[in-house]
Amino acid sequence: MSMSRRSFLKASGSAAALALTPKISGPWVINRRRQNTVVLKIQAFAHDAIRAVLPDFEAATGLTVQLETGVSSGVEHLTEVSTAYAAGDSPWDVVSDSDESGPVLARAGWLMPLDDVIPQETWDDFPQGMKDAFPLWHGFDGAMYRVPHEFAMAYFFYRKDIIGDAPKTWEEMVEKGMEVTDAANGVWATTDGISRGGLMWVYLAYLTSQTNGQIFDLDDGTAMATRLLYDMMHTYKIFPPDAINTNYDQQNQLYMDDKVIFMRQWPFFQSVAEGNTAWYSPDKVAIALPPAGPSGPGSWWGGWGFTVPALAPNPDGAKELIKYITSVEVAPKLAAGQSWFIMPRASILAAMPDNVLVGAMGMYADAGAIKPRPYHPRAAEAQVAVEDALSLYITKQASLQEALATGRNLLAALGE
Amino acid sequence: MTHSVENAPPASPSRRKSFTLSQRRYLAAALLLLPVVALRLFTTLYPFIQTILLSVQKYNPAFPPREYVGAGNFEKLAGDLVFQSSIEFTLIFVFGSTLLQLIFGILVASLLNAKFRLRNLARTINLIPWAIPMVVAALGWRWLFDGTYGWITDLQTRLGVQFSWLIDPVGARVAILIVNVWKSTPFVAISILAGLQGVPEELYEAARVDGANPVQSFWKITLPLIMPLTVTIGMYMMVWQLSVFDLPYAMTSGGPGFSTSVLAYMIQQQVATLNYGYASAISVVMFLVVAVFGAVGLYVFRRVEVQI
Repeated sequence: MSMSRRSFLKASGSAAALALTPKISGPWVINRRRQNTVVLKIQAFAHDAIRAVLPDFEAATGLTVQLETGVSSGVEHLTEVSTAYAAGDSPWDVVSDSDESGPVLARAGWLMPLDDVIPQETWDDFPQGMKDAFPLWHGFDGAMYRVPHEFAMAYFFYRKDIIGDAPKTWEEMVEKGMEVTDAANGVWATTDGISRGGLMWVYLAYLTSQTNGQIFDLDDGTAMATRLLYDMMHTYKIFPPDAINTNYDQQNQLYMDDKVIFMRQWPFFQSVAEGNTAWYSPDKVAIALPPAGPSGPGSWWGGWGFTVPALAPNPDGAKELIKYITSVEVAPKLAAGQSWFIMPRASILAAMPDNVLVGAMGMYADAGAIKPRPYHPRAAEAQVAVEDALSLYITKQASLQEALATGRNLLAALGE
Repeated sequence: MTHSVENAPPASPSRRKSFTLSQRRYLAAALLLLPVVALRLFTTLYPFIQTILLSVQKYNPAFPPREYVGAGNFEKLAGDLVFQSSIEFTLIFVFGSTLLQLIFGILVASLLNAKFRLRNLARTINLIPWAIPMVVAALGWRWLFDGTYGWITDLQTRLGVQFSWLIDPVGARVAILIVNVWKSTPFVAISILAGLQGVPEELYEAARVDGANPVQSFWKITLPLIMPLTVTIGMYMMVWQLSVFDLPYAMTSGGPGFSTSVLAYMIQQQVATLNYGYASAISVVMFLVVAVFGAVGLYVFRRVEVQI
């Protein structure tokens, strides 16, 4: 069959027009498809707990909730969602946002204010200590944009079966540490996942919280904390220098391989350890107060929370869903399903009085060890700047004073 | 049945105004090419212009206003310690890797060009490192270099050498270089092997008759004849490796400190924190570096062109 040029050109033009049609009408098509669907983006390990509470919601609203997996790193999460939002699109209706991403996204105008969405009963369920931090971490310009669903505070885990009592001070930690370290056989008193990308900052901020210092001021307290890490690594040799290339999974594995005697770790380690049934016993994962620094024991808290993107394809459905999963009725159910959702909310504490982490939370609160997360408006960048600078000292590339001065310069270059 | 021009019916007025057959062919060709050209321009020229425009702006959507800052981002780069370290390591990485890849590539190619049993098997085995995904290779080598559990550390400790590669700034840079050379040398070798197979055997025979030994043949015949190909591959490897990201990211995350941070990694970090203006300025610097490398390569390539 032969085809004239004219026919060919006509056919090509029609084909091109047809191909372009879905592109032009894309958003409309997507929105139409999602009228009855609400997409929730959250880390995969939380999906089972979320799924368990969805049937009631779907039955009551006629909506279908679709779960999408999110990344675990707050900074990587920011990269992922900001790319979509900057392009004027959001594939998600409700998102679990980190401390690194939430405040920045709110400032950029990419999140929906939630003051009129979340009932007062839900806000009242949070303790005053958490509410005090809301304006900085969950709100902007007087409006609320994020509802916390996690209370991430690092705990001091230790091997009660090996050392009996946990060290109570920095000095005791070093002393006990030198007794139990057997570097030749790969046994270290303590360690942490402090690889580049914010994790060393997490550890240094934890130590700094025990000095009354402000890590973003790079003050004397920060200097003390940084020197302690350096000394544990290079002077007392109780902390493996290779930790600067270690992440949390590797850290946990070392602990469960009996290679580490005590460590700071996030609450999720409790679930990880309990899941390792062949190894776990309560004495192997005992929780104590962090060894006290010059200002006593301390550990800062932060965490992830739910947000609604300003460009959510199904805003009405999104509002219904976020209202539901943060409600006083559902929050305890989520906490029972996954320790990530355990928070000092009144509803959760009342429902889980015997939970190990709830008990530890109370112990830390009673000791005045719970400290607010160090704040900087450009949190992700500031964390990296501080970490980059102080790691120069930790890795022997600069003196402590030079590292602190470098950090101040890097922070000053960030502007606000 | 065909018509001669003389016998053709007179053209109608509307027909005379239409395109000639030749013009119509060009028009059709242009129309057919238009979508591809438009797509290509959209995916290359538009981002390029947008990057240039952003590089002279202070733009972070979370921290308005978006404003024109002229050379402000570039001035900031000049005083940025992380940028200085990144560009230093990027250049060390590119020059060091390319030089070593070419040296080892020529040696391996010469070996693979020799006649021996199981030569085809040896050529296949040579390609294995190149076939491994970079991130997988980086993670594997990271464990080999690990200060506590790494094989390399264990071996050197048995020899009495105490050194932790990845926590020492120089050691980490050398380790990354080693992995990159190990990973990409097979590709260079196989490319140069193709060039070696094109060198006429008669030249070697004539050299042997004149009393040249194998080393002299290599320096006087092989190397000059494969030089254009070597320069081309060298330039390709340099330009390609200038944008390296995956290897330092997976192996050291740019540490210890920021000693193994590279330009592409720095751009990723700036984009991640929404500093689009600053990230664009780094991209422009990177583009200029690539352009300079390309121009030098073209110049060198023309100088070494040979005729057989």
